[in-house]
Amino acid sequence: MADFVQLLVNGLAIGSVYALAAIGFVIVYSATGVVNFAAGQFVMFGTFAGVATLINAQLAWPFAYSAALLIMALFGLLFFIAVYLPLRRGSIVTIIIGTVAVSITMQNAALLSFGSWPFRLPSPVEGSAVTIGGAIISTHALGVVGVTALMVTCLWLLFNRTSVGIGMRAVAQDLQAAKLMGLKVNRLLALSWVLAAVLAGVAGLMLGPMWFADVNMGDPIALKAFAATIIGGFGSLPGAIVGGLFVGLSEVLGASYVSSAYKDLISFGIMIIFLLVRPQGVFGEKIQDRG
Amino acid sequence: MAIRFPLSIAAAILVIGSLLALVLPEYYLRLLNLSAISAVAVIGLNFAFGYAGLISLGHAAFVGMGAYGLAILTTTCGWSPWLAAPAAIVASAVLAALIGFPLLRLRGHYLALATLGLNVSFYIVTSNWISLTGGTNGIARIPELALGSFAFSGEHRFLWLVLVVLATVAAVAAILHASRHGREMMAVRDDEIASEMIGIDTTRVKITAFVLSAICAAIAGCLFALHVRFVAPEDFTYAHSITYLAMLIVGGEGTIIGAILGAILLTFLPEWLRFLGTAYLFFFGLLMLCILVFLPTGLVGLGERLRRPRKRVSPVPVGAPEAT
Repeated sequence: MADFVQLLVNGLAIGSVYALAAIGFVIVYSATGVVNFAAGQFVMFGTFAGVATLINAQLAWPFAYSAALLIMALFGLLFFIAVYLPLRRGSIVTIIIGTVAVSITMQNAALLSFGSWPFRLPSPVEGSAVTIGGAIISTHALGVVGVTALMVTCLWLLFNRTSVGIGMRAVAQDLQAAKLMGLKVNRLLALSWVLAAVLAGVAGLMLGPMWFADVNMGDPIALKAFAATIIGGFGSLPGAIVGGLFVGLSEVLGASYVSSAYKDLISFGIMIIFLLVRPQGVFGEKIQDRG
Repeated sequence: MAIRFPLSIAAAILVIGSLLALVLPEYYLRLLNLSAISAVAVIGLNFAFGYAGLISLGHAAFVGMGAYGLAILTTTCGWSPWLAAPAAIVASAVLAALIGFPLLRLRGHYLALATLGLNVSFYIVTSNWISLTGGTNGIARIPELALGSFAFSGEHRFLWLVLVVLATVAAVAAILHASRHGREMMAVRDDEIASEMIGIDTTRVKITAFVLSAICAAIAGCLFALHVRFVAPEDFTYAHSITYLAMLIVGGEGTIIGAILGAILLTFLPEWLRFLGTAYLFFFGLLMLCILVFLPTGLVGLGERLRRPRKRVSPVPVGAPEAT
């Protein structure tokens, strides 16, 4: 039982990171229609922004985290200008290949600046743990779940209670209509990229202490975020959260109770079953892209 | 008349390939072999994506099935490569039909992510089913292909084999492109409902395109296994699938010449950028992005544009949706 609680919390913690990555992916997809294959590299950049501010610049963690997230926000803006705007008229596949090209560049930029040795990114609650019902649980894992819950609440408030957020939803629903209503469409589109980058930054900073900060960490995260999005429902924010937590739990629980070699096959197998049986996922958009 | 283009494309491949074989040094011959093998796979992908519009991010899995099929049959079962290759290709085609039947109901990015999941699953299975595939150690000591006492060993001799296969595949693809089947595929790509209305069985057409693409992929896989004589899961990851798709887009989707040019360019480009040292992949990504932005119709489109420089791209019609 103690083992199970421990695995449950770890699964939820890693699932929270996938959920944040998936939310960033979904925000961009619903606002711009871009299937962003660089989503995993965004998280990797977030972790390395933390490496730069916490380890290289030796800032205290509140400043380091703010600086890292600021870097990510600027990066989101840069991505909007340098990648999204030139590619936006391309077909789905051109955009997929374009974001893949950028992710090759991002991965090698990180490799050139930080080298291939993995870093250990410290956590603000390094080394501390709490005991719940006999299970020893790291405070960091609990913190990750808490921070994710907080982020999700903030997002909900943003999209439902602020004019900026409602404008972003309007753009996602119908770009032409939003433009005709006088919304500053380009600014809102830029904002969705910035938001996605910042969320990826938060995910990266929280993931750093759980995994090693490694320049190759982006691809596995992207794959998990895709699986999470499909399972939860393409284009749905609650779906991204449920899907992310599900993928995290199935990975951790599957590794200990089923098979550690095939742990990833569980989430991808379920993803494919969802695609075949219920492609709109748990909470999904109404699908027309299906024969 | 209809046979002229397929024959000339096959002849062009053989002539240009043989001329290159005479002048290029060994290392470039190796790259040429690899790019011709990729070209076979990309011509296959052109059936699925270029003609039928099926976005597949799992093409490398079918290349892998062909390669593993040949590797397992020749090493574990001791078959001759001449027997093992057709068996592996047929097996991959059957698997593609079985997989395609449920999967091809999906479209657009759903199909893209489903095939991506398929490729990831292929990787996980091949790297963990150790008794069959040797796990991450792969399968070594694949025998070489021999015609009597003439073994296709070494880059030079292997190039002849690859060129003949590529020329054949390209000619068959060109014949299919001009045939009723090719036109059906393109009709389904352009408007699925309309093609159903005129009596095309869209499911059958899509599965045919998918199976054809898998057959070419498996042929490429067999060539790969016979060339490198070693297969491992690392050679067939979804990143390779994306590379195949990138080759097709960069060359010019929907054309056989584009598929070949794209395969050659994306195989040689990283090598040409080697002078940049460790930063070469950084610039490779940027360059690919630039090609996508500035040459949306690929290298083939560039050729068209150079031939007819005055022809303007038609303006976007009023009310066309943008940025969605």
